Amino acid sequence: MPTPVIELEQVKKSFAMPGGETVAVLDIDAFTVAEREQCALTGQSGSGKSTLLHVISGIMRPDAGRVVVDGHDLTRLGEAATDRLRADTLGLVFQQFNLLPGFTALENVLVAMSFGSGRPDRWRAADLLASVGLSHRLHHKPGELSIGQQQRVAVARALANRPRVILADEPTASIDTAHQDQVIELLKNTCAEQDVALLVVTHSPEVAARFPRRLRLEDFNRAATHHG
Amino acid sequence: MSLFGIAWRNIRQRLLTSGLTALSLALGVALVVSTLVIGDIVKQAFNSGSGLGYNIIVGAKGSPLQLVLNSVYLISKPIENISWAFYEEFLPATARADGAAGRYAGSVQTAVPICMGDYFRGFRVVGTNAAYFDSLTWGGGGTPAGLGRWLRRSVGLADARSELRPFAFASGRNFRDDEFFGGVLGCDVAAKLGLKAGDPFAPTHGADDGLVHDPFTVTGILARTDTPVDRGVYVNMEGFYLQEGHAKPVEGEGVAVKPTAEEDHPASPAPLPTNQREVTAILVETAALPGLPAELTAMGLRTAINEGRDGQAAEPIREISLLLGLFVRPLELLLLLVTTLVVIVSAIGILVSMVGSSLERSRDVAVMRALGARRSHVLATVLIEAVLLAVGGGLVGWALGHMLVAAIGPLITTNAGVSASLLSAAPAAELLLVPFLIALAILAALLPALAAYRTDVAKWLG
Repeated sequence: MPTPVIELEQVKKSFAMPGGETVAVLDIDAFTVAEREQCALTGQSGSGKSTLLHVISGIMRPDAGRVVVDGHDLTRLGEAATDRLRADTLGLVFQQFNLLPGFTALENVLVAMSFGSGRPDRWRAADLLASVGLSHRLHHKPGELSIGQQQRVAVARALANRPRVILADEPTASIDTAHQDQVIELLKNTCAEQDVALLVVTHSPEVAARFPRRLRLEDFNRAATHHG
Repeated sequence: MSLFGIAWRNIRQRLLTSGLTALSLALGVALVVSTLVIGDIVKQAFNSGSGLGYNIIVGAKGSPLQLVLNSVYLISKPIENISWAFYEEFLPATARADGAAGRYAGSVQTAVPICMGDYFRGFRVVGTNAAYFDSLTWGGGGTPAGLGRWLRRSVGLADARSELRPFAFASGRNFRDDEFFGGVLGCDVAAKLGLKAGDPFAPTHGADDGLVHDPFTVTGILARTDTPVDRGVYVNMEGFYLQEGHAKPVEGEGVAVKPTAEEDHPASPAPLPTNQREVTAILVETAALPGLPAELTAMGLRTAINEGRDGQAAEPIREISLLLGLFVRPLELLLLLVTTLVVIVSAIGILVSMVGSSLERSRDVAVMRALGARRSHVLATVLIEAVLLAVGGGLVGWALGHMLVAAIGPLITTNAGVSASLLSAAPAAELLLVPFLIALAILAALLPALAAYRTDVAKWLG
């Protein structure tokens, strides 16, 4: 039985609406992602996919339940410790890439390194960018890169601190179909090479079909079922 | 990448806004620095007069300040002349024709007469004797500000008295008392007029366009003192007396035959009889009497003279301190207040600039937090950004301020008689400016920094 790198137990999360009403977004009995596992999570719009990623990454705290990442229960950690754990253990890839516009590709990777436990390493940052095919674009700012290249920088940045798992939130939503395959292959291959687990959230059945494990959020999130 | 590097990248990312913010701060700082330096130069220019080796100036009854300004700083107009006989009251028996010591001679170490009223191409001409440069000293009162001097005084390597030194000559020498047509030029005069030792020069009477007197010969050029002496033209008073309009008319006697520098024995013509002589002022260094503090001797001499009818005694330090207290300091404070307000407005510019870019910043902050940055990291990054802007703007402003002082230096030199250059400084105040700016920048950036600290990561990541 492979060791889980992400474990959720009895996790609940709800939001207060402006009118005073409370809306439940997550109500999950159990959810795990094993080490080196590659998993696609689909769900309708508003089903709580992004909230789930925020809870797993410690950006958001659940109202109840346990969130264990690489053996650490985030609900028992303080904010600074959670931030440190996120920097060291998780790599995030966003839908809009969210690269820092004033920084070059190399610097975007170095910035991520500077928040981890290790020291920023220019050589490793350059190697990571080379591994995603951007050795000739190290000193270009995001505005000077194509959409596909920006996404590659985002992948390299997610790998900056040798994470245990990469969480990718709709990584192909902003790119054309031709490039979707490339990005998914890049994520899968890179994670496989570096023994990193991969959890990709997507609304696309085609993208999900490329993963050995596929989950529908509605299947295990009772709040999504009620909601959706 | 360090937080410093991240802050620097943020500044570069918003180059135009950051540049304009830093520029406005730089202009404010330039104003403050130039005000501080010029204020210091003016103060020290006046203070420099207190270290010229004499502590009392004797002149005609009238305004003591006018007497000091005219005699020491070579500005303002002379009051009136005093009689030669009164001057002789300060001389020892050996220096008087009657062989009797003057009334005040016991309290006097040195008494140097000066006669004024002539000009040479915009500079004041002072008729005096060789004792001016042989006996008097300079440098004890405060030459214009400079970092080296400030450091020396700060660490106790120098004080006012230890800095007193005799006059030195950059070229040539002092005139002898028997060289009636010899003259010494202050360094600024020589530099501006391009004169050197051996050159002739002819003063004019009363004003630059007045009657042209006989030529004198430059015997020496003084080394720089950064005192009003630098812009004075000093001629042997014996030659001065022999010029037209300088002899006091005496009933029943004609004016002495006027020899000139071109005559066969130019160095020793017949001197003007003493009954036709007057002096404008006497620069007196009081004697240190046994068992009596020097201040008490000076006070006694001043009281004795002021109670008499022949003239008045003024203390340069006292008069200048009154002048500074009444006019210069309040004016300086007012200017400093205005310029400090300018800097504060510039600091508010930092705040406005940072608040203005907070939307853009919020997204970046959210991304950095998602990458693992702690709240303290983003708080520090914003504060470092503000400090970098303040220090950058401050340094540019500091340099601009000094360049401004250097640019108007010639004007200061002409009007205040002291040199103002790129290196002129008000070190204590300027050093205080740096922590003040940093504190101001941190204060201004606190609001946007706290906003960054509180950024809702989930909201900005979408």
